[in-house]
Amino acid sequence: MKRNILLNQNSADAQTRRFGLSMITPTIVVLLVMTAYPLIFTLVYSFTDYNLLRNLRQPASFIALKNYTDLLTNAYFQQSIWNTVKFTILAVIFEMLIGFALALFVNSLRRGQKIMRTLLLLPYLLPTVTVALIWRMMLSPNYGIVNQVLEAIGLPVYNWFSDIHTAFGMLVLIDVWQSAPFVFLLLYAALQSVPQSQYEAARIDGAGRMKILFYVTIPNIKNSLALCALLRTIDSFRLFDKVNLLTGGGPANSTSTITQYLYNYGISSLDFGFGSAGAIVMTILVLILSSVYIKRAIQ
Amino acid sequence: MKKLLAMALALTMVLSMAACGGNNSGEGGSADGTTELNLILRAGTYADVIKECLPTFEQEHNVTVNVQELSESDLYSGIALDAINAEGSYDLCMVDGSWMAEFTENGVLANLSDLGYTLDDDIIPATTSICYVGDDVYLAPYYGNVTVLMFNKANVEAAGYDASTITSLEDILTICQQAQADGKLGFIYRGDGQNNLVVDFLPILLSYGGWVLDENNQPTVNTDAFKDAMNYYLDLIATGEAQVKDDLIASVDTGAGTMGIGWPGWYTPTADTPADYIALTGASTAGGETHNANVYGIWTIGIPANSQNKELAAELLTYLMDPEVQKSTVPSGGVPCRYSSLQDPEILETYPQYEVVCQALESGVYRPVISEWTQFYTILGTEMDNIINGIKTVDEGLADAQAQLEELMAG
Repeated sequence: MKRNILLNQNSADAQTRRFGLSMITPTIVVLLVMTAYPLIFTLVYSFTDYNLLRNLRQPASFIALKNYTDLLTNAYFQQSIWNTVKFTILAVIFEMLIGFALALFVNSLRRGQKIMRTLLLLPYLLPTVTVALIWRMMLSPNYGIVNQVLEAIGLPVYNWFSDIHTAFGMLVLIDVWQSAPFVFLLLYAALQSVPQSQYEAARIDGAGRMKILFYVTIPNIKNSLALCALLRTIDSFRLFDKVNLLTGGGPANSTSTITQYLYNYGISSLDFGFGSAGAIVMTILVLILSSVYIKRAIQ
Repeated sequence: MKKLLAMALALTMVLSMAACGGNNSGEGGSADGTTELNLILRAGTYADVIKECLPTFEQEHNVTVNVQELSESDLYSGIALDAINAEGSYDLCMVDGSWMAEFTENGVLANLSDLGYTLDDDIIPATTSICYVGDDVYLAPYYGNVTVLMFNKANVEAAGYDASTITSLEDILTICQQAQADGKLGFIYRGDGQNNLVVDFLPILLSYGGWVLDENNQPTVNTDAFKDAMNYYLDLIATGEAQVKDDLIASVDTGAGTMGIGWPGWYTPTADTPADYIALTGASTAGGETHNANVYGIWTIGIPANSQNKELAAELLTYLMDPEVQKSTVPSGGVPCRYSSLQDPEILETYPQYEVVCQALESGVYRPVISEWTQFYTILGTEMDNIINGIKTVDEGLADAQAQLEELMAG
């Protein structure tokens, strides 16, 4: 009798396990096809001199680590890494600060929260190409509204995207303009879930605004803040479209990010072996950046 | 779990192999049974003039022609990515002259001679120089793009010059410096992207008797001629600034800027327009030696080697290259590489600028026909950008460029 009960239990466990496995199979297959397979191929290509067109007449050769040594010893690639890191730090800091401030402001409104929320989200909803073109027009040295306003009030005007002193700052500004609403949205949602009773208790205890912010609000949304910072860091690190559309990495490589460098030296010349090595290096850098979060998620 | 992983891997392999071996029949056929031809073209006037010629061909041959219009870099990668397929998606493609070597070396283009096409004598001979491999034709010069000096008439007149008296690079610098002194921008150049930086500079380099490669395809960027041209260019661009193409045209048109290197497809000057263009004389100093200084950006047309409709595509190419069909595109901005169009009295009466274009096309120079040209201009453009922005001196920048280019050309 006892044995029968144990057998039935084992059979039920196995059935549950089988059901669970059958449920995750589609996800595993999709992940293998869409992620693991291209990643393995990219890794293999990165050890070859694979050029898309040259490969039509002579197959790619194995060149071991040459692509990696060429890449890591190249001064322009090093500059691209520095530009990317600088951009990521600046963009994430400003986006987090502005997004958080906006979330606090909208959350504190008694009326018009919905309208404010919609209006603030608009830049994030626009396609990046549209954003780039809008800013290019606004900052045009000929007919751009920014220079016209500056001129009208007697301030110096700039050739924003072609001046080595302003091009990088403009890219940060545009990215912050477009992505701060994303931070706002996530943090605003998190703020909505903070129990009002904690605010009331803090007020009864005589806490001021700053104390409430640091001892009630931030501790309650710290997970959302961390997630936001991580997502923005990864996204900023992969910056390509705005740079490619607005500056192409210039002037004098001052805005060249890792992805733009790889586009110029690997993809546009169809040297996919070299480009693959760069993609692997970039993946490793992104993994390092997000390792803290991934480790925490696994735990 | 191991079984599941093994099954998933097996399924992945099967899916991948199925995807790789998939029969993507390139043989075009529309739902109504007519044949389809797919064209991949450079967006802008270049594609527009072809599109307006298509309805007649479609009617005559009972075919449907689909056109995909792309930017220069997308066009290059679009043709290249399709070339690796056994059965191609495209039947006719627009090709920049500078891609010719890479495309023919790697078998991307079909031999047009084998398809019965020949280049006729009406085509300006210099424009056909890159169209052959041996005696075989691989491309046909379709759109006669060649660098011209675009200028604002009023600014030039204010400096005491007109189109006929700009005879050397010295004159150009004098005019731009005068414009700068008058509170306007002098010379505008395209600073976005290495290709534009190099292409805008090449006419200046040619006027100094320099070039980027010698007859053995060895880089020659660290030479006296190149340095003289670069130093002159730095003086010239100091009178203006870097702008993107649309801003450059707007600047010269409005008079905010005075001059820039342009292409005929960008602007149609008439007697009433504020801007005009001329072909560079190729002399660096007044009365000095003249060189062929106009750089071709000719858009040629060819047939991909993996086209599924080569014969019909050859008929379309022959039709598009027909002298009368080409002449009919002029009012829409077409610039045929043909004497019958560019020297036609009726056309010249309405579009007098075609005389200049014809002269420039007769004495033009193609960018180097080497398979490494994309990497070449990326390296050179990067170092020129550093020099222009004061990161490196002329000597440092050109020495660095020379070293990198020698490594590139050594393979």
